[in-house]
Amino acid sequence: MSTQHQPLRIENLSKIYTSSEGSQVTALQEVSLDIHAGEFVVIVGPSGCGKSTLLNILAGLEQSSSGQALAYGKPITQPDIDRGMVFQSYALFPWLSVRGNVEFGLEQRGLDKTQRRAVALEYLQLVGLSEFADKRIHELSGGMKQRVAIARAFAINPSIILMDEPFGALDALTRRFLQGELLRIWRSHQKTIVFITHSVPEAIVLGSRIIIMTARPAQIKSEVSVELPYPRDTASEDFRALEQQLYAQLDEEVARTFEMK
Amino acid sequence: MRILKYLMLKLLPFVYAITLITVVWQLVIVFTHPHPSILPTPWATAKNFITLIENGSLFIHTGASLGRVFSAWLLSACVAVPLGLIMGRSILLERILDPIIELFRPISPLAWIPLAILWFGIGEAGKIFVVFIGTFFPILLSTVAGVKSIDPILINAGKVLGCRSHFSLFRKVIFPAATPNIMVGLRISFGTGWAAIIAAELVAARSGLGYLIANGMEILRADHVLVGMIMIGLLGVCFDAFFRFINRYLTWQA
Repeated sequence: MSTQHQPLRIENLSKIYTSSEGSQVTALQEVSLDIHAGEFVVIVGPSGCGKSTLLNILAGLEQSSSGQALAYGKPITQPDIDRGMVFQSYALFPWLSVRGNVEFGLEQRGLDKTQRRAVALEYLQLVGLSEFADKRIHELSGGMKQRVAIARAFAINPSIILMDEPFGALDALTRRFLQGELLRIWRSHQKTIVFITHSVPEAIVLGSRIIIMTARPAQIKSEVSVELPYPRDTASEDFRALEQQLYAQLDEEVARTFEMK
Repeated sequence: MRILKYLMLKLLPFVYAITLITVVWQLVIVFTHPHPSILPTPWATAKNFITLIENGSLFIHTGASLGRVFSAWLLSACVAVPLGLIMGRSILLERILDPIIELFRPISPLAWIPLAILWFGIGEAGKIFVVFIGTFFPILLSTVAGVKSIDPILINAGKVLGCRSHFSLFRKVIFPAATPNIMVGLRISFGTGWAAIIAAELVAARSGLGYLIANGMEILRADHVLVGMIMIGLLGVCFDAFFRFINRYLTWQA
């Protein structure tokens, strides 16, 4: 093929749910977006706006109502191990050890047992948990659990990683630490990341591009390419200015969600 | 030493219970003077227990009952666990099967004994059938409950991590996630199966602890009846302890 395909391309994507009372709810309306290789795209929007729906469609876990999502030019119809995912509630398998969780997806990559062990250990080292390889999941703190989930997603070596508010349930210090870790891994591993959050500072710390969504039905309100060099200084004037700009836009949308009721 | 102390602590309640039962039993005899064929003394019963062990008949009867329960329970698990896993995931299948199950479930396995005898005679098949019925529903229902209580996010995680077929999703996510519930079902159903086999043997059998008891009644040997009952109780306690033990090592939930 002559044309280079984007890792992810979203074309006029809409998603309409039928609620339990039988009424139609539009979660996403006519969303179009191109995501380029190596980008760290952060999607920010009011809670409940449909960001997670968008990510689930990109993962192949949900189907769109109209329009389509493409991965490297092919329509996304089901999950694929080339698109890894990290969930807010970690979604670790409690019956497996830390190592077992990281090895889970490697079988599908056709690796034998010794290779799986080696790769799992490598990625546990990457997130600083190699000493915890044989621990059970319930023995870990929230921050450690999310590091295991990140190791698990990266270990299968997908080119795209989808992250659904991965640090939303963590305390502020752990969150700050993991943001730094994630940036380090992203920069050394050349992945394309789509990251959902409703924290404006988190979006600016992480994103090479920030997409702002409207209140439900979610559309793209605006987007900002962040030119600030990594690691970003949250106290700098440029950071603050961008923060104010994003808050101003999001405040409008949050206000709309309250007016709707 | 720690294991010894642990065992002592575990066994102490049973020592207390056995002592109390023996004392009350002896008191009843002292005050009512029953004929030994109606109620023998604890001492005479203990001696008969030893005799039945020595002549091997206790082992034969216990072995017969255990063999039936184990084979029927295993057969039941082989059908109920896979069916429960699928029922827990398929709303259609659940809608089709649930009303049928709800109708059959309240019927005690004991109510099936007459039909079992009519259909299968008094051979092994009839008894295995009764225990199968008695163990099937607890295993099925706990498996369905186990599947339904799985956090959907774990299933999504399984799909994203490469479980592309239903089979691999069942094998790698759904079955292990439901294991704690399945184990509860297996434990409870073994208890109901154990109760059901004794009842079935009371009615129609030539071996087994139930037969030992029924036969003891017919030949006016209450000491045989009591030995059979004691054996049922002791084994019941052992099974429960065994299941709790393997539960701790086999399943992931605390």
